[in-house]
Amino acid sequence: MILDLHTHSIKSDDGRAKVENYCKWIRKKEIPLDGFVLTEHRQYDSESDYRALEDEYNLLILKASEVETDYGHVLVFGVNEDLLHSFDFANIRLPIQTVLNASKENGAFAAPCHPGRKRVGLFSHYARSGPIADVHTVEVFNGGSIPGEDQLSVEQAAIYGYRGFGGSDSHVVSRIGYCATKFERDTITTVEDLVEELQSGSFSPISLKPEPKNTSIET
Amino acid sequence: MKVLSYDDVELGDDLPDESPDVSMSKVTAFCTAAKHVFERFVDHEAARKEGFPAAIVPGIMSQSLLLAMIHRWAPGCTVRKIDTVFRGSLLVDSNVTMSGAVTDTDDEARTAEVDLVITAEDGRTGVIGTAVVEFKD
Amino acid sequence: MAESSGSVNIAEVRAEWIGVEFDWAEFIIDKDAMIQWASACGETDERFIDPSHSDFQAHPSFTTHCMSGRLFPKNFPQIGGGFGIDGGKTVTAHLPIRAGSKLTAVTTIADIFDKTGRSGTMVFIVQRMEFKDETGALVSTVDWKMIKKA
Repeated sequence: MILDLHTHSIKSDDGRAKVENYCKWIRKKEIPLDGFVLTEHRQYDSESDYRALEDEYNLLILKASEVETDYGHVLVFGVNEDLLHSFDFANIRLPIQTVLNASKENGAFAAPCHPGRKRVGLFSHYARSGPIADVHTVEVFNGGSIPGEDQLSVEQAAIYGYRGFGGSDSHVVSRIGYCATKFERDTITTVEDLVEELQSGSFSPISLKPEPKNTSIET
Repeated sequence: MKVLSYDDVELGDDLPDESPDVSMSKVTAFCTAAKHVFERFVDHEAARKEGFPAAIVPGIMSQSLLLAMIHRWAPGCTVRKIDTVFRGSLLVDSNVTMSGAVTDTDDEARTAEVDLVITAEDGRTGVIGTAVVEFKD
Repeated sequence: MAESSGSVNIAEVRAEWIGVEFDWAEFIIDKDAMIQWASACGETDERFIDPSHSDFQAHPSFTTHCMSGRLFPKNFPQIGGGFGIDGGKTVTAHLPIRAGSKLTAVTTIADIFDKTGRSGTMVFIVQRMEFKDETGALVSTVDWKMIKKA
């Protein structure tokens, strides 16, 4: 089962993609995704219900969050009411330890994203402040990375023995699925299933970026 | 020139990629037209002193170049809305690539939504955006 | 929304300033300026560069450079340093803008928020300019995201 674990919709301040348009795009372009996870910035979208879209397009659509910590951005899967009351998702200076501890205590799964990125990536903080003991999984393929960032993520993850997953970090429709995660299990249907699989470590990151076109017109 | 009609447009269509001219002379001409002549746009050395790798293309120029690309793709269309996020610097005198793709269509309004991206020479995404394009009847 | 960004409490700034109108300006839309703008944008559509075209009008992005010079409301708190950089623009073209039109623009603080990115901690200040013509019809809306380092 292949899921894009990192996407943004118009619910995020810089997201420009409608969720239904993601679904249409995946089907039209025959992108081999079985679903995607909406990881809106600094919030958890408790309101939106995408079950009708899931049925219409035969895709799994889950909700999570991307929060901002003193060690960079972190994806939190399996957000629930208890976790929402554990820390302020909108705070851009969350201590990473708070996020990791609260997620673990409340049955969620927290993992730093784009760890090779300057300032908002985990490893840029490791160089200055040392490693965090409770990190075990990071996003090693990120569709929004600039050249060199994913390479750094992969290298550093190997050094620290972290498992790696992938996500497109798409903010516009046409970038969904640039990176994704292949799970060994075929039947992830709920966010609880997803958390279980992330905890099991039975997954690998994949890149589905299209080849660049070489047909641009000079104007 | 064949005028693209709404009926020719399908979700998933790509707009032809373009490599706009962002040379110093073109950017300076834009800044003059915009009455927006700041050193970071028209002087490489001054831009470096501000911490940029070189002079940068103004955001509103990037957006305007994308609009011109849409007008070439669908002559006679009306761009009802364009929304661009300037995510990273595009450097003056570099090679940048503009691309677009149709991500939705509305038969009733005869509009198409398009994704827009400008990619810098080193592969970074400089600008992302969307536009709503209305076609003539 | 985070409680503070540097020495400025963003939640308080939001509560006080969102929705505040702070600038009113008039612009006469000059034919030559319209052509100069469209040409500098690499525009090739004759509607925007040929004044003899039956549908000659301003390029949709023309209003993005119509500024009066006032960046913030009087007494707006100092957030970060420097002029700030342009984080993005949204233009909604409601009606064509014709040569010779006199437009009136009202500027409002539309949103304020902070976030972290490759460049560090930043505060986004969104300003909305609404342009109306002589008849009072809304012709263009421009949302400008100004980024300031926190």
